[in-house]
Amino acid sequence: MVERGPTVFLQQLINGITQGSLFALLAISFSLVWGLLKLVNFALGEVYMFGAFTGWLIFTYWVENLAVALLASIVVGWVLGWLIEKVAFKALRGVPHIASLVCTIGFSFFLKESAAAIFGVETKAMPAFLSESAFTLAGANVSWLQILMIALAALMLLILQFLFYRTRIGLGVRAVSLDYRTAGLMGINVDRVISVAFSLSGAIAAFVGVLAAVYYNAVNPTMGFIPGLKGFTAAVFGGITSIPGAILGGYLLGIIENLGVQFISSGYRDLISFGILIVFLLLRPNGILGKKAKL
Amino acid sequence: MNAKRTAVIAICLTVIAAFPVLASGAQEGAGGSDTIHIALTAPITGDYAEYGVNFRRSVEMAMDEINKDGGVLGKQFTLSVGDSKGDPKESANLAQKWTSDATIVAEIGDFTSTCCLAAQPIYDRAGMVQLSPTASHTKFAPGSEWSFSIVGTQAYEQPFMADFAHDDLGFKNIAILYINNDWGVDTQKFFKESFEKLGGDVVAEESFFQGEKDFKAALTKLKQSHPDALYMAAMYNDGALISKQREALGWDIPVLGPSSLYSSQLIELGGSAVNGLYTNVSFFAKDPDPRIQAYVTGFEERYGATPNFHAALAYDAMYILADAIKKAGSTDRKAIRDALAQEKNFKGLTGEITFTENGDAIKSYKAVEVKKGDFELYN
Repeated sequence: MVERGPTVFLQQLINGITQGSLFALLAISFSLVWGLLKLVNFALGEVYMFGAFTGWLIFTYWVENLAVALLASIVVGWVLGWLIEKVAFKALRGVPHIASLVCTIGFSFFLKESAAAIFGVETKAMPAFLSESAFTLAGANVSWLQILMIALAALMLLILQFLFYRTRIGLGVRAVSLDYRTAGLMGINVDRVISVAFSLSGAIAAFVGVLAAVYYNAVNPTMGFIPGLKGFTAAVFGGITSIPGAILGGYLLGIIENLGVQFISSGYRDLISFGILIVFLLLRPNGILGKKAKL
Repeated sequence: MNAKRTAVIAICLTVIAAFPVLASGAQEGAGGSDTIHIALTAPITGDYAEYGVNFRRSVEMAMDEINKDGGVLGKQFTLSVGDSKGDPKESANLAQKWTSDATIVAEIGDFTSTCCLAAQPIYDRAGMVQLSPTASHTKFAPGSEWSFSIVGTQAYEQPFMADFAHDDLGFKNIAILYINNDWGVDTQKFFKESFEKLGGDVVAEESFFQGEKDFKAALTKLKQSHPDALYMAAMYNDGALISKQREALGWDIPVLGPSSLYSSQLIELGGSAVNGLYTNVSFFAKDPDPRIQAYVTGFEERYGATPNFHAALAYDAMYILADAIKKAGSTDRKAIRDALAQEKNFKGLTGEITFTENGDAIKSYKAVEVKKGDFELYN
């Protein structure tokens, strides 16, 4: 009765790559901040959720245009990232990192409950974009949206690559992540670099939020929790200190999860992901591509 | 500088500490002798918040109506609401809080079977009625003489659905997608059992966890088994997502599921993807019965939303509890339990309620179908 073979494998692979695009971008969000400060921003899942709500507001009250929603979510994410940096990091400069970490968890709750208070707790529908099938590959269905998501993720990755290696601020980010004290002595405005990195990471998370909300056709205040954890998992998996590692981790996690559902059972989905997280934290905390931790 | 830092840390910690408290929104009712103090446990925030909020709306509405009519035993009802967030630990904590408050005479809630089961031993030890509008797990009500459930268990609902799927709709092979919690597992088990007893075949089963948003992998896998229909043991918000993703995968197949899918939200969220979906109801908002219409219009005027099955169950819970207190003639916790256990043919909005020896309610079911974006009785 159950047919195996290339079609199903391919369909799960496509599902996995699409989901992997979301994870990869979220993983970059995490590793941006981690690279600079060795700090996990646990509020990123909620910034993702706010991005999704930004998209929802635009679709519902203004215009059903995906590009507008994505741009607006980048702005909202940028502002939220900036705000989190100012409160959770800038103001807590010099105290042990644990305070900043706990503060980002506080932000996570604050944003989640604010969204519940502002928008209500009900799940809201997102309009579908480009959900028609673009082509079928050996029986596997690929929608335009999936193609767009993978393309947008790739584009975002290229933009970031350009930003890091071709611009002054990118140079600053790389210098600060190597050694912020020396970078400061060399005349780099460390505060500004950190602020930009936080904002950028927020903008990416919010951008992913809109994509995910359109892909799954739903927004609600608790939607950011699991993706936040999975994004963090993907970052650890690939190597949290490295952007290419984060990308690799994201795609691998997406593919492994979906194939895991196929070959084991969907009940084990989160078990697989978080099992990977634990194994890597224990055995290879620098991830697949991560560099050795500096002293 | 240091003072500033300390201040910021303090603010951060306060924000963290204050939120659960703010969110729970518990209001302490006055426990005077001229009032009857009831507690409500519901997931006001979290993944199940939309159900919890409806619980609170319905119970408050029913309570206001009863109070307006002079209350019970010459006393007015007051309500304390606790937010369990859909978390069994929170539900158990609230049970401790309610049972240690001597002014509280009975509790309504929680929403999920899992939460109800977690809190059950505490109500049992303290001797307080735990009246859940929705807990349908077969182990819940029989678990304690203090536990009652209004919804009717899956042991009654699933045979109805299996019969409907097999005999009326003519499905022989069914794939099941269910939520992996006490309720989902129970629903899946009873449906499968009844369906196989009728000669049908469950060809594939997959589960998912609360909070999951990606169902494509599970659906892709289920699709391979080429079933006649897909059975979704899910709440309506998940059910809508599953339907949308099923449509996006280009999988055209009849879908059916338990009464948890009956909500206007299913259609709002699912759009065209839920057209043709079959489910069952004990409460139907378009029922011409004047009492139901009075409730539906009252609810719509007050909250701007159409009440669903879960909301109506909470409304019935408040009324049947008030009736039991009236019959008990006292606000003694034990007297209320005994009177509640005696309730027979209580005319609720969700049908007549008679408690079995175990404290489960027996209900009658009607099959419905989504047609052109609206629920209609199946015939």
